[in-house]
Amino acid sequence: MSGFLEGLRCSECIDWGEKRNTIASIVAGFLFFTGWWIIIDAAVIYPSMEDFNHSYHACGVIATLAFLMINAVSNGQVHGDSYSEGCLGQTGARIWLLIGFMLAFGSLIASLWILFGGYVVKEKPIVYPGIAVFFQNAFIFFGGLVFKFGRTEDLWQ
Amino acid sequence: MAGIKALVVLSFSGAIGLTFLMLGCALEGYGVYWPLFVLIFHVISPIPHFIAKRVTEDSDASSSACQELAYFFTTGIVVSAFGLPVILARISVIKWGACGLVLAGNAVIFITIQGFFLAFGRGDDFSW
Repeated sequence: MSGFLEGLRCSECIDWGEKRNTIASIVAGFLFFTGWWIIIDAAVIYPSMEDFNHSYHACGVIATLAFLMINAVSNGQVHGDSYSEGCLGQTGARIWLLIGFMLAFGSLIASLWILFGGYVVKEKPIVYPGIAVFFQNAFIFFGGLVFKFGRTEDLWQ
Repeated sequence: MAGIKALVVLSFSGAIGLTFLMLGCALEGYGVYWPLFVLIFHVISPIPHFIAKRVTEDSDASSSACQELAYFFTTGIVVSAFGLPVILARISVIKWGACGLVLAGNAVIFITIQGFFLAFGRGDDFSW
């Protein structure tokens, strides 16, 4: 009985450095899909166009496209490592990443605009869809950042 | 053999999880069977892992982009399995009590699936 807790020391049995990529992927997946489920929730509760204009969905779609673009190129391709030579080359990879980040920031700004311009300023009685659009895009944006920068490519060698 | 014990424990917890799910649908006060759609998420949740295992068949690297993408999608499928009952309850298609039972069933079933991989995932060939 006296020594049974000694077997429970777990800080040495898991190598947190090796698990970094796994944890980053899981956190990014959680954020990304939670964002989409938030907007599904808002769309299901407020199906009419006056409460939730359906064109606001475009914001989330562009954010998802930006997520895919940002994560399609690896840091190695942008840096110019000779190991990973994609079909775009180094300059092409940089331009692709630039456009991806611009779309990501743009969709985040657009979601803020939708919230304030479409709901707060117009003093709509139901403001939840605007908040949902904002949180969807914020979650997708941060999910993209975590997936891109939370992982290290050293573990791929 | 340790494998049999693990198998029995896992099948028990799987049965408990499915019981929670069925209780959420079939109890007197509920009687709505929409929550059974989460079974789709349960079935497809191991698929990204198998695809990644098959594609990166042998490599010395401790991780790979494909494996991480598989974790990403698996997490997404798990989030969806929890999100669906909550949304159904929010629009009152199912009652919140049923939602709670379905969420509990989800948790137990995903723990079972993870336990299956921990117990039997090492050194298998995955040859179908």
